[in-house]
Amino acid sequence: MSVFHEVVSWLILLYGVALPVAVILGVVRLTGLKEITRFETGSGFLYRLNPITKVAFGVVVMIVASVTIWWIGATLTLAVSLLYLTMKDGLKKFGYLLALIFTSLVGSTWSVAPYVPDTILSMVFPNPSSYQVLWVWPSYFLAMGYQPELTLQALIYGVQIGFRVTAVLSSALLLILTTTTSDIFRMFTKLRVPLAITFSLLVGVKTVPKIFELLDSSVKMQFLRGLGEGKPRVLYPFLFFYAGLQGIVPTMVYLLRGAKTMAISADTRGFRAFNRRTEMKELGFGREDYVTFAVIVGLLALAIIANYLGFGRSIPYVGS
Amino acid sequence: MGFNGIKAEVNVPGQIPWEIILIYFIGAVLLALYFGKKTGGLKAFTTVDLVYIGIAGAFSVVWEFYIGSFIGRFIPSTPFVSVGFWGRFVIVLIVAALVRKVGTGMLTLFIFSLLSDIFHYGFGGEPMFFIYETLTYGLFVDLMIAATGGHIFNIGKELTGGGTGSATATRLSTVLALIQGAVLGFSWSIPDPIFYSAFFSPFIYGSYVNWSHILFNLVAFIPGDVIIGAIGAILAVRIAKAVGQ
Repeated sequence: MSVFHEVVSWLILLYGVALPVAVILGVVRLTGLKEITRFETGSGFLYRLNPITKVAFGVVVMIVASVTIWWIGATLTLAVSLLYLTMKDGLKKFGYLLALIFTSLVGSTWSVAPYVPDTILSMVFPNPSSYQVLWVWPSYFLAMGYQPELTLQALIYGVQIGFRVTAVLSSALLLILTTTTSDIFRMFTKLRVPLAITFSLLVGVKTVPKIFELLDSSVKMQFLRGLGEGKPRVLYPFLFFYAGLQGIVPTMVYLLRGAKTMAISADTRGFRAFNRRTEMKELGFGREDYVTFAVIVGLLALAIIANYLGFGRSIPYVGS
Repeated sequence: MGFNGIKAEVNVPGQIPWEIILIYFIGAVLLALYFGKKTGGLKAFTTVDLVYIGIAGAFSVVWEFYIGSFIGRFIPSTPFVSVGFWGRFVIVLIVAALVRKVGTGMLTLFIFSLLSDIFHYGFGGEPMFFIYETLTYGLFVDLMIAATGGHIFNIGKELTGGGTGSATATRLSTVLALIQGAVLGFSWSIPDPIFYSAFFSPFIYGSYVNWSHILFNLVAFIPGDVIIGAIGAILAVRIAKAVGQ
């Protein structure tokens, strides 16, 4: 095989891995990741839903996406993404979500397509002899688990698997973006989850966006202090990454040190003095919840009808 | 349709018989209950321990799904290198060093699973992931904490080195921490190929079992995990010191 073939093979491989990174670095950035993992007060109907309804919705979207044909997953992804427009700063969140969905699609296509053998593909696209070969990998790519050839059918298969992931991704973030931490706490208490677990979980929920925020400040500080001065702009993404990595251990130590303050603050309020909490606010179900439950039932019916009509899952997962 | 997206496939060719898996997990639950009774279970954790565990869960999620997965994209996908998984491993080692109570591993992995459901996966496939993550990865760390009598990586333990001075004692303590980290690394290479690929993946998603792939992955995971385990142990000792344990 020629040098040209080698170079193009590696370029294709790196394209699949570098494009998602470029989108995340250029479009979403740490600020975007922070905003798409954090609750902000808003007034849309999602904010008024009971958190249990939102969890039930997420579970059902996942079930429907995993038992039906790929385009139902794709439609669900689009429908759930549109819900983001009803949130506070909806357009911005919608944009971030689209970028995340795009990277997730490219990422999952690239982590599936080169590896899927014809034996599995033939369950989706019968007659392997008709497959359109797009590229033949150098032989040593097989050591990474690559199939000898990349076919158009394998790429389509990868995209189809990807839509299952995106439906779940978009519905999973709904809960966190539109529910206060206290309401999530109430929900878990209502579900009889032990206080210790609920507390740790809530610390986690609060900490995720905080980590992005701290990393973001750390990166900015390093640039302010002169990182990358006089260096060509092409190197900036790498410097950004370098600065991010540099920021991880200090961020961790900073947060862990603050843990004591948080614990003292919880203890002084009598946390875990009793096994159960006394609620000032009861989580109730309103009209919007019942509407959502109707949608949930509709989705389940859709899954059953789709399976009955032959639009059930036709794509097997690759065992890894 | 199964329950909560779980296909419950148990007779896939090559899949580990469900009886064996059930026996393992019953044994693991009994072990967890035994430790729980002996040490006081969830009540044994102080509030600050719970905060540490929550922060560790959050870091694992941020690392595995955001930072690690993007760094991972720069590296050709091979089973030898797993940036996302390694990050979570190191973070669990750090929290184990900070809390040092049996149950830390299991609770951290449980919180990690819950957080990843909330932020990334959705709750589909549960409760299988809780059972899998908690009673394999988490339990292994707790077994190490129990085996070291709550002094994982020799933290909080006086090593006099038989009167040969503190330098020797520090070196001995570092070597012991390295070994403990490496042993944990070895144990952490087992669940993904054996428990997940050969049982849970077909059980939950109905995927295929390919033993040559599984054995290759197992062998490929070991060196990296052992090295990261050893490095992670040292890092955990450092961070525990920096946080003021």
